[in-house]
Amino acid sequence: MNCKLFADRFKPLTDPFSSKNLIIFGTGPLVGTIVPGSSRTVAISKFPATGAVANSCGSMSFAFNLKQAGFDHIIITGKSEKPVYLHISDDHVELSKAKVIWGKDIVETTNFLKKKHGSSGVIAIGQAGEKLVKSSMTLIDKTSTLGRGGLGAIMGSKNLKAILTQGTKGIPIAELKKFNKLYKNLIERIRKYPHRDSWIELGMLRSLPVGMLLTAKGQKKKARQCSDRMYLKKMKKRRIACPSCPMADKDILEIREGEYSGLINYTSSIINPLMMFIVDGLDTYDQAIKAFDLISRYGLDSLTMTALFEFISKMNEIDLLTNEELGFEWKRDYKTFNHLIEITAKREGFGDILADGWKKLAEQNKTFSNEMLTVKGLDVIFEPRFLRLGTMEFEQVVNPKGAHVASGGSPTYVGAGGTLDKMKSHFNRMGIPETAFSRIFDPPKKGMGVNVGRLTRYSEDWYTVLTSLGLCARAQMNRFFSLDLVTDLYNLITGFNLHQEELRLSAERSWNLLKLMNLKEGFSRKDDKFPNGWFKPLKMGENVLKFQDFYGEVIITQDIANELLDDYYDERGWDKQNSYPTISKIKALALEKYF
Amino acid sequence: MVKSKLIEIIIHEERCTGCRICQLICSSIYKNKYSPTEAFIQIVDAYELIPKISFLDGCTHCGQCVNYCLYGALELKEGEE
Repeated sequence: MNCKLFADRFKPLTDPFSSKNLIIFGTGPLVGTIVPGSSRTVAISKFPATGAVANSCGSMSFAFNLKQAGFDHIIITGKSEKPVYLHISDDHVELSKAKVIWGKDIVETTNFLKKKHGSSGVIAIGQAGEKLVKSSMTLIDKTSTLGRGGLGAIMGSKNLKAILTQGTKGIPIAELKKFNKLYKNLIERIRKYPHRDSWIELGMLRSLPVGMLLTAKGQKKKARQCSDRMYLKKMKKRRIACPSCPMADKDILEIREGEYSGLINYTSSIINPLMMFIVDGLDTYDQAIKAFDLISRYGLDSLTMTALFEFISKMNEIDLLTNEELGFEWKRDYKTFNHLIEITAKREGFGDILADGWKKLAEQNKTFSNEMLTVKGLDVIFEPRFLRLGTMEFEQVVNPKGAHVASGGSPTYVGAGGTLDKMKSHFNRMGIPETAFSRIFDPPKKGMGVNVGRLTRYSEDWYTVLTSLGLCARAQMNRFFSLDLVTDLYNLITGFNLHQEELRLSAERSWNLLKLMNLKEGFSRKDDKFPNGWFKPLKMGENVLKFQDFYGEVIITQDIANELLDDYYDERGWDKQNSYPTISKIKALALEKYF
Repeated sequence: MVKSKLIEIIIHEERCTGCRICQLICSSIYKNKYSPTEAFIQIVDAYELIPKISFLDGCTHCGQCVNYCLYGALELKEGEE
C-alpha cells in the first residue's frame, strides 16, 4: 500500500529536499493486534543519500499506537515554515510548535514529548536531521532505527522534528474465535522453541558473536570484552520488546564502571555498538557504547560513521586524504572518532562534505570511488569476504535503495542455511514455487550449490510479504512464519478470503513498482554494481579472506558476479541488459499504469 | 467446608519487557478487541528503566495475563480464603 500511495502521488525526479517530496508512514494490517512481532513501521520517500525511492522499516510502538488510533498510513507533504511536531491521538491530529525541542537530540526530544503527552510511540530526528545530513536517520522510541539513507534529513527539510502517536480505539478481529485458536498454537510453538531463552538472554548477540570477528583479526583481548559473559555482566541493563513480541531482543544498556559510568543507551541491537568496536581505534567496549550513544542522539547512522572512520583512516595512512585537507590531525583513536561524529552532525569544516554522503566524498579524489565499499551511495553492511555470498550480501547490490540490510532475509542468513535439504524446507515455508527449485539449485559454477541471484528474488518477495503485513523479519521470528500461516492470520483478522498466491503476488507487485519508480529516477543495471573492493583479498589479522560463494567452494569473479545478476533479473522477469521489468511482467502484475 | 481459591498475582516489574501481550490478551477476553488501554492490567513507562504495572478495578484475577506473560513478569500465587 505504501508503494502504491507513493507512486500515485510522487512526481519523478523531485529533489529529496523539495517540499514536494513525500514521506508516507505505513502500518500493516496485522499491526496493533497480538500476532507475534506485528509492530513494524514502514516509511517510503525519495532518499537524499542515494536519490532512490525506497522503503525503510522500524519497530517499537509507533505503528502500534497509530493503528490503535485508527490510522493505517500518514502522508507527509509540503514544508512547515517553522519547526513543528505532529501529534496524533485518536481523531485529534495537530501540528504543534517544536521550538523548545528544535536543536535537542533524539533522546531529549523523545523524553520531552513522552513526558508531555504520556504513553505514546515517537519518531524523532536529532541535530543531524535538522542539518540535512544525508545519512541521518530517525529513532522510534529512542531505540529502533528508521530511515537509513537520510529520512532524518527529509523530516528536517520539512521542519518536522517528531511524530507522536497515541491510540485508544482498539482493533476488532473479524473471526476472533478461530484467530485465538491459531494464535494459541503459534505462541505455544514459540514458547517451546528450545533456543528461546538464550535469544532473550543474549538478544542479537546470539545472531552474530562479535568476538568471533575480533578473534579472526587476531585481537583476542578486544574479543574478550564482547563475550556473552561481559555483555551480561557489564552492559545489559534491561531487555525490552516491541508490542506483541515474544522474542524480545532490544536493549537498554548501562555502562557500570570507568569514565562513562552511569551512561544509559537504548539500542535495537547490541550488535550496533559492538560492530563499531571492531574497527581499529576504539580500544574498550565502553568507548564503543559511548560513541554509539552520541551517534544515536544526533540521529546519525552508526554503520555509516564506522565505515567513514575506517575509510578516512585508510586514505589518510596512504596520504590520499591529508591532515591539511581534513583540517585537523587524523589519528585512529577514540578522540578522532568522536570529532568525526561532531563535525558530521554539525556540518563543520570537512564534516560538511561528509554530511553530503559518499557520493560527495568521491568527488574529492578520483581514486576514492575505487576504494569505497558502497552501492548506489550507501556503505555495505554485510561483508561477503567474511560472511560469504548469501542473499543478504547479494541483495545489497540489487536493492533499489542501495546497500541495505533488511531485504534479503532468507535461508542464507548468517548462521542459517546448512544443507540443501534444509534449504528446501525454508523454501516451502517462504512460498517459493517448486518449479523454481531446479533453477535455484543451478548456480553458475557447480560447486556453489545454490544460485543466490535466483534465490534473492524469492527472499525479497518473502521479506516484502512480512513487511507489508507489519511482521518482524528478524531470523528468530521469521522462522515461525510461513506463507500459509501469515495468509491465515491475515484472513482471520480482516475477514477477507485471500489466497496465499495473491499475497505473494502483491509482494512481487510492490517490488516491481519500486523498481519502476527508480527507473524513472535514472537507475538501471549500471547501478547494480558489486563494489570493486570485494574482488580484492581482505586482510583480517593473519587471515586473508577472498570473495567466495555461500558454501566457500568457489571464488566469485566479476564474470560469476555478472552471471548472478543475469540470473536475478531473469528470475524477476526483467530485461537483463537494463534491468527493466519486461512488458509481459508488467502486464501480469497489472502495473501498466506505472510504466 | 468448601474453600474458595484466592488468586494473587505477583508482579516482577524488572522482568517486564513492555511487550503488552498481557494487555492484549485481557482486552480480547473482556472487550472482544485488542485494546491495551481498555485492559484491566495497565503498564506505565513500558520502556523506561522500571515499568509500572497495576491492576484496575474490575479485574477478576482470571489469571490469563499470567498465563500469556512470556517473560515471568507476572506470577500466580494461589491461596485459600
